[in-house]
Amino acid sequence: MTLLAKFHEALAGLKAGRVTLPYPAEKRPTAPGFRGRPIFDATKCIGCAGCANNCPAREILVMDVCQEVRILKYLGRRCTYCGRCADVCPEKAITMSAEYETATDAVGDLSQRLELFMSTCQRCGRCFEAPTPLEALKLNGYRSDDLEHDRWVFRSKSYFKDRTVEDVPIEFD
Amino acid sequence: MTRMVLGALANVGLLLALAPLGEGALRKVTACLQSRRGPPLWQPYMDLLKLLGKEDVESGQSPAIQRLAAWFSLAVVLTISCFAPLGFRPPLSDAGDVILLIYLLTLSGVCSLIGGLAAGSTYSLLGIGREMMSMIALEPLFAIALIIGAVHAHSLRLDAVLNGSVYATDGFPWAGVLMLGVMAASFQAFIQRAPFDISEAETEIMEGPLVEYSGPKLALFKYAQMGRLIIHSALFVALFVPWGSGFVFFWAKVAAVILVVTLVAATHARYRIDQAIRFYGALLGAGFAALALASIGF
Amino acid sequence: MPAREKLNLLKKEFGSALLRADVPSDHLLFIYVEASAIQAICRHLFRVLDARYVISIGADNRPYSGKFLVSHHFAFDAEDLFCGLLVELPGEDPVIDSISNDVPAANWAERELSEMVGIKLNGHPYPKRLVLPTGWPEGAHPLRKDTPWNEAPADYDEKREFQYDAAPEGCTVVPFGPFHPTLDEPAHFRLYIEGEQVRGCEYWGFMAHRGIEKLAESVLTYNEIPIMAERICGICGCVHNVAYAQAVETAAAIKAPPRAEYLRTLLLELERLHSHLLWVGLACHIIGFDTMFMQCFRIREPVMWIAEKITGNRKTYGLCVIGGVRRDLTAELKTELRSVLSRLEAEWMVIVTAVLDDRNIQLRTKGVGVADRALVKEFGLIGPVARAAGVAMDCRRDHPYAAYDRVEFKVITAEDGDVWSRLVVRATEVFESIKIIRQCLDRMEPGPIALEIKDELPVGRLGLSSVEAPRGESHHFVITGENNRPRRWRVRAPTYQNLQAVPRMIKDQQLSDMTISLGSIDPCFSCTDRLETIDLKSGTLRVWSQKELLEMTRKRER
Repeated sequence: MTLLAKFHEALAGLKAGRVTLPYPAEKRPTAPGFRGRPIFDATKCIGCAGCANNCPAREILVMDVCQEVRILKYLGRRCTYCGRCADVCPEKAITMSAEYETATDAVGDLSQRLELFMSTCQRCGRCFEAPTPLEALKLNGYRSDDLEHDRWVFRSKSYFKDRTVEDVPIEFD
Repeated sequence: MTRMVLGALANVGLLLALAPLGEGALRKVTACLQSRRGPPLWQPYMDLLKLLGKEDVESGQSPAIQRLAAWFSLAVVLTISCFAPLGFRPPLSDAGDVILLIYLLTLSGVCSLIGGLAAGSTYSLLGIGREMMSMIALEPLFAIALIIGAVHAHSLRLDAVLNGSVYATDGFPWAGVLMLGVMAASFQAFIQRAPFDISEAETEIMEGPLVEYSGPKLALFKYAQMGRLIIHSALFVALFVPWGSGFVFFWAKVAAVILVVTLVAATHARYRIDQAIRFYGALLGAGFAALALASIGF
Repeated sequence: MPAREKLNLLKKEFGSALLRADVPSDHLLFIYVEASAIQAICRHLFRVLDARYVISIGADNRPYSGKFLVSHHFAFDAEDLFCGLLVELPGEDPVIDSISNDVPAANWAERELSEMVGIKLNGHPYPKRLVLPTGWPEGAHPLRKDTPWNEAPADYDEKREFQYDAAPEGCTVVPFGPFHPTLDEPAHFRLYIEGEQVRGCEYWGFMAHRGIEKLAESVLTYNEIPIMAERICGICGCVHNVAYAQAVETAAAIKAPPRAEYLRTLLLELERLHSHLLWVGLACHIIGFDTMFMQCFRIREPVMWIAEKITGNRKTYGLCVIGGVRRDLTAELKTELRSVLSRLEAEWMVIVTAVLDDRNIQLRTKGVGVADRALVKEFGLIGPVARAAGVAMDCRRDHPYAAYDRVEFKVITAEDGDVWSRLVVRATEVFESIKIIRQCLDRMEPGPIALEIKDELPVGRLGLSSVEAPRGESHHFVITGENNRPRRWRVRAPTYQNLQAVPRMIKDQQLSDMTISLGSIDPCFSCTDRLETIDLKSGTLRVWSQKELLEMTRKRER
């Protein structure tokens, strides 16, 4: 009977009460394992660039400024919050936080920059030279973007109008 | 004379003030059924204010006629409000009779036809096609109800007809009860709510006749729609639910009608135009039967 | 041994035309055939042996073998067998006979492989451009290996307009989309209307190109691709994630550990729950019944919350790596999942009982958008569309994958093939999914959740996998390759097949039924459009005035 069916449908709605959540006045807490914006801890990072090698969106870049200083930059623009960087990090320096309100009109708001002082060999006093085990990935052809000579990794030339991004010079292939 | 003018203005003002409230109540009750909080009761006032403040974009084939149609639709609804009892005897009830009321009600339907035709886009033409088909079947029903009242009251005067005259027979009011059933079944179609909101089906034809309207013109059309809800409910109550008197009691009855409208609208899916036409056709047959009964004294 | 039997049958029939056969397992058969015999063999498979058409794939193998490759996939559901017919074409000027005249379901797939890989088709009934945008120059074929993934062709003509077919006599043209309240994603249906009846339509889609297949071949690596695969679709992402992982595992002859298989099954069914509940709500919204829409979404919300607790995100689960899954299920989550399921089952039972009695909904959906058994066969329709027509086809039972061979469930069918039947099928499948999840929770044994893969995956192997998405069969094909990435990855989403039948479903029906007919195949345009990167970033910003926008839309309407 249609009328009875309609009555049951209406009753189901009324019994459930009002389920509207008062967001954004009150935020609902996220689940414990929630994959929000990754937070990089510079005190734990050893500069292995495992995160940079495994990011599907290529949003983590690595550059050696000089022999002992390595810069690791998380750009965060196309980050898919997949959590591969956190999975792969050997030092658990990356945590997937509970931040999901990351919309912004300034692209630099989301970036995180780590300046790492790399350790040197006790005998010869130099840092490990290429190819490190991870740079071997490039030599094997696993990556088509260029880690050789520690340049910025980038994707398409047409994305860059001028040759610096936030005052760091970019070299093109 | 001045009393008539002031009374007419009072009616118009009352309608303008209350129409968005009726719509707001409808949206609030719908939200309750949908387990939501819904917008606040005064949201339609805010919506109308917002629309009135927007840029008056000229889109559609004949912008001048579109503007005319928008003004016209609200103007016709306000004119009807001068003749409809809104809790007290309408001030202009001596200035017109039942025929004028029937004419004005039909005219308010024609306004959206003009609006859609003037816009001339594919979807609006589809929408007014549906609306024309519905109008042919539906408008006679209200007319028949008023005429039955006129036949029973032996007069075409508005205050004679608009107070339950459909029941004014010696024996059992067969025509009146039949017409009550017919009007109740078709009420959703008059005010264009589910399941009969076919000519403005958002998910099928993108608002139909109103597709080229935005900003102030849309505000006028929407205001007219809200006004029509109140007017039709008021006329329904005046014709078919005459028991009890007084301003407050009248509006309580109108509120009850709006509540029933909301419940039906919230729990039904939209029908297709051919299914709806068949339904209206059946109702029209019943309406003519009621008219025949009324003419022979029942 | 279904693979060997079919191979012998075909050898008897076609003898010398079969050049080579690979039988990696009992359920997988790859036959390399002569180009001249491909039409006859496909016709034989489709008509005489009554196979189901799955997909046609084109690949550029020139760097490895100097040849182009075309593969037509067929499925024998009753025997759990996939059969791929491969043809190698010369590297210069590849031409192949079209099979679309015999197998109507291959219409789109052949057009796509022709324009993406640049293989000429002989005798295709409707060789119009399908996927690439209108301004794309001729002769630029994105999936060829010499085309870089970020190619922006210099002669891209952004002013070129789409050429519509001529409308039939006496019909008005009603443009439906790309912007329409009912469509979630952009697609254009050009309807030919007579009064209120639809006399035909032309579909112009593939507006949401994203270039996932090319990216996978050029830039991403094996374990990064599942993350991108699940972004092909916002509703059935997990399906693509799992199907890709399974395709690679088939190619490399790897088997994921049992606990990983149960977890994959569990999350696939959780996804089916949310998708079907969403669809029932959406169907009610399309027919104007917003209350039911709100109720379905309210009942569905706990599924999203529990998915967030299990995987870290409401929808993009990020589930698979090659060889297993990334996250495990704790005991507390198991208990919570059980209680969510009980509550869901109780509430959904109330809704389904009410809806089954509701004549108001039935009047709008019975007899509408009918796809009968003949149409299912001709166009290779799958999923609830096929099951509603009475064809008992379900990849979970016919080609078991993950842990589906270890759980019991019914395949729900209906008889009439209209929108109402599809609604009933989907609403009832919710209960079956709940049963499957409960069995997984009971039968899961503790153990590792992913394999440790120490060596590189073997190169040049073919693998495929069909997963039953909520919309139908989602079929992935992978050729493993060098440098830690595949050589070719083809995604065939279920909507790709089902959309081809929509013009027939809406013909001679009313305009109001068009949206619900389209909605009843549960279209996922994002799944269908996954193909090409368009790099239009010239860096200039153009602000359109309202007048200009109107001009643009009016030009399209006329």
